[in-house]
Amino acid sequence: MEKRHIMDRKIGVYVCECGPNIADALDIDRVIEAVSGMENVAVVERYKLMCSPDGKKYLAEQIKEHGLTHLVVGACSPKQHEATFMAVCEEGGMNPFLMQMANLREQIAWITPDKEKATERAIRHMKAAIRRVRYHAPLEKKEIECNPDVLVIGGGIAGMSAALLLSSPDRKVFLVEKNEELGGMVSRCEKLFPDMVKFFGNFVVTVREKESEPREFKVGAVVVATGADLFDPGALAEYGYGKIKNVVTASELEEMNLKGKIALEDGKEPKSVGIIHCVGRKEKGYCSEVCCRVGIKISRYLKEKIPGASVTQFYQDLCIPGSVAQAFYEETRNAGVEFVCTEAVKLSESDKKIQIDHDGKLATVDMVVLLPAIEAAESTSEISEMLGVKKGKGEFLTEEHEKIGPVTTTVEGVFLAGTVSGPKTVRDTVSQSEAAAGKILSSLVPGRKLETEARTSKISESLCTGCRTCLTVCCYSAIEYDESRGICTVNEVLCKGCGNCAAACPSGAATHQQFTQIQIHREMMEVLR
Amino acid sequence: MTEKKQKAKDQVLVVGAGMAGIEASLTLAAADKKVYLVEKEPLFGGKVIKFEEVFANMECSTCMAAPKQQEVLQNEKIELLTLSKVKEIQGEAGNFTVKIEKKARYVSLEDCIGCNECFEPCPVSLPNGFEENLGERKAIYIPCPGALPNAPSIDTENCLRFTKGKDCQLCKEACMFDAIDFDQKDEEVKLNVGAIIVATGFDLMDPKQISDFGYDGEANVYTALEIERLYASNGPTEGKITLRNGKEPASAAMIHCVGRKKVGYCSAVCCMYNFKFIHYLKEKLPEITLYDFYSDLCMPGKSYQPFYEHLKDKAESIRFQDLKIAHQNGQVRLNYKSLEDRDKKLDVDMAILAPAVVPAEGASELARILGIEQAENGFFGFQSSDRSPGESGREGIYLAGCVLGPEDIGKAIAQADAAAGKVLALLG
Repeated sequence: MEKRHIMDRKIGVYVCECGPNIADALDIDRVIEAVSGMENVAVVERYKLMCSPDGKKYLAEQIKEHGLTHLVVGACSPKQHEATFMAVCEEGGMNPFLMQMANLREQIAWITPDKEKATERAIRHMKAAIRRVRYHAPLEKKEIECNPDVLVIGGGIAGMSAALLLSSPDRKVFLVEKNEELGGMVSRCEKLFPDMVKFFGNFVVTVREKESEPREFKVGAVVVATGADLFDPGALAEYGYGKIKNVVTASELEEMNLKGKIALEDGKEPKSVGIIHCVGRKEKGYCSEVCCRVGIKISRYLKEKIPGASVTQFYQDLCIPGSVAQAFYEETRNAGVEFVCTEAVKLSESDKKIQIDHDGKLATVDMVVLLPAIEAAESTSEISEMLGVKKGKGEFLTEEHEKIGPVTTTVEGVFLAGTVSGPKTVRDTVSQSEAAAGKILSSLVPGRKLETEARTSKISESLCTGCRTCLTVCCYSAIEYDESRGICTVNEVLCKGCGNCAAACPSGAATHQQFTQIQIHREMMEVLR
Repeated sequence: MTEKKQKAKDQVLVVGAGMAGIEASLTLAAADKKVYLVEKEPLFGGKVIKFEEVFANMECSTCMAAPKQQEVLQNEKIELLTLSKVKEIQGEAGNFTVKIEKKARYVSLEDCIGCNECFEPCPVSLPNGFEENLGERKAIYIPCPGALPNAPSIDTENCLRFTKGKDCQLCKEACMFDAIDFDQKDEEVKLNVGAIIVATGFDLMDPKQISDFGYDGEANVYTALEIERLYASNGPTEGKITLRNGKEPASAAMIHCVGRKKVGYCSAVCCMYNFKFIHYLKEKLPEITLYDFYSDLCMPGKSYQPFYEHLKDKAESIRFQDLKIAHQNGQVRLNYKSLEDRDKKLDVDMAILAPAVVPAEGASELARILGIEQAENGFFGFQSSDRSPGESGREGIYLAGCVLGPEDIGKAIAQADAAAGKVLALLG
């Protein structure tokens, strides 16, 4: 049945001259001659410039005139004009996924000085495209309804900034915070969501509020703004935290400052304070970005509240990037705060005071403030598991791309904002939150449908043995294991068509719909001939 | 005058088509906004397209930028206006009237296929600014292979037809697609937009401004951007790192913080790209001896320090206070004071300067036209607090990328999407 269907195919083959680009670099007539007799090839033609308005019109007419079922265009890189020729297919009444391009320009004409060799390569690539396209089946783009509402997890500065920008009369925002108050710089999210059906446009969320029944609702997107924790300095003996009196962390000093009095345990004001940077940096293996500025800020508090106190900063590298931080540092230094560059620091108690050994030199102070590293929150693992967003460097959640996708993730519809993806300043946290909101505002428009990827993977029910290898390699959380049937299934809305599952599947059950075994085999046979 | 009148709230102006401007445009277009993306150069992509690789994952820069650029070119909701500048703005948030000066390219973007046949016959040759003057170009040119849009432009300041009034038609005769049109005229485009995003980026300080660093464009003292172009496979040497005399350097010193004292801030990215240069140089010249002169290492965030750890043994790190560069007969001498206040000197074949990131040329004029304030150091948005980093101080005008101050690509992209978010929240 399948075979007879393939026999009936009528493939149209067109070679674009691309002005002199392809025409001069290789012998197009020889290419035409070489592919003309191939199975299913109904027509082979050359054209001066296929992407021109006349060229597109010509191609659409050819499809209709010859009743073509499949199309091969030998021209430039598909990056350049695949979309153009797919549109032409639709114009000519053909499913656009039945077209295959051969990249004769970038991959052959422009890089092969020898015309003879270029022609041979072009013949191989054209034959490969023809052989492969025979096995192309029509694919359909799907549209799904979406829910414009958004779930924001974490009610700190990141969560609140995102929620503020997102809320509008036609969009509900659910802001979930595990603490009783909003605004915690470090907010944790405990197991609030035992169940979550996830895909962009249609997440089902279950939230358990204190002492009440679980509540279920639907949202279109999720912003994860669950923040980070601070490294516990008690884990490192050299700082004596919890053992030596008057060794405090920056947050403890912040609290004292908020309450209006910075004092030693005995209630007296400290006359000298040492601020130790990079606590836990070596253990964590990264720089926490904000600590230098926090240290400078704290020395300002101290100078303000206790003008006579001497304040000394013990730092390794001053990390004060950007257009404003250095001025803040210079002002502070000019106000009498001392900065001492040192590699290693060890604290000990001596006569009710604290002795700081820095690279062999000694200093004695009344109080020490530690600046601990920012580390991934405890809740990160749970969030990671629940949402399918992987943990990466420093155990923080991983962005889709650190540079060009800093707030998106490989799970479409799940966005990251703030320190959940790594140490960050308040300013960068706010801009990430607003970025996540921006991405949602642009992609999840009330009333608009979402278009999904057509070139996805499929798992054959009869071939799948339920080994779940595919589950472990899928970056998009698009595969689920169906307990009752003992097989894996692909969620076509989430699948991005990367092909990882098809490559990993030991039983051949998982296939990529446009990279099937037979398509790849036929293509390779010609390319490697 | 071309007038494009549509509902202002459905249209947005984005000024500057680097990574930030591109990102903001794509996000806005996805929300069905019509975007006018204005770029002063004949090509777009900003500084990133000058780099071969990007820290810290050493990804190919073009592979990161080009797909986004293609998306812009193929997106019907985005109109890219190259060789264009904002001249005037009137109105208020929700309804701005903008005048754009669009210079003629003299090459039709519809007809040109980018085959480059027109360059060769052009009789004019001059240093190529895109290549930091390390290579040459013609008066009709594409700044570098792979530049987008893939069509040349005629530089009227050097073309004989425009400078000397000669009837030279050599490029036009060479074009098989009749794409060259000497009759194109500069235009004034009038737009009606609801909001504006400013993403005009940065420049690097010209190290000639500080005589201590001995930069003159002739001795073997190089700027970071010169090294980027020397290493680039589409650059003037096709990726060969050589001294001015064509020989390979046996030693090189990278100098951090060039101009930091003068500008009064840390440029945020230089430490990281200097580590990247360690990788560049060792990859091309495995035997080279490297010195890394720094004052403080700035490598914030979860992924930068691991990159440094991976490279630090390949160069000798030297913490310096003051540094002066002298040169004679091709050799470069560094006279510096160590952290322990000792005077030292070192001779190397090549010195590489990491100049401060400064506001882009023309920033002050743009601030005046937009009616927004500049900080003393020239960056925009100084009034905006931590709480609202992309605000310009004028409603309806938002900021993204290095126009706000030096920062890396990831932060610039987040700011671009944040600015787009603010626009969408404002215009609905």
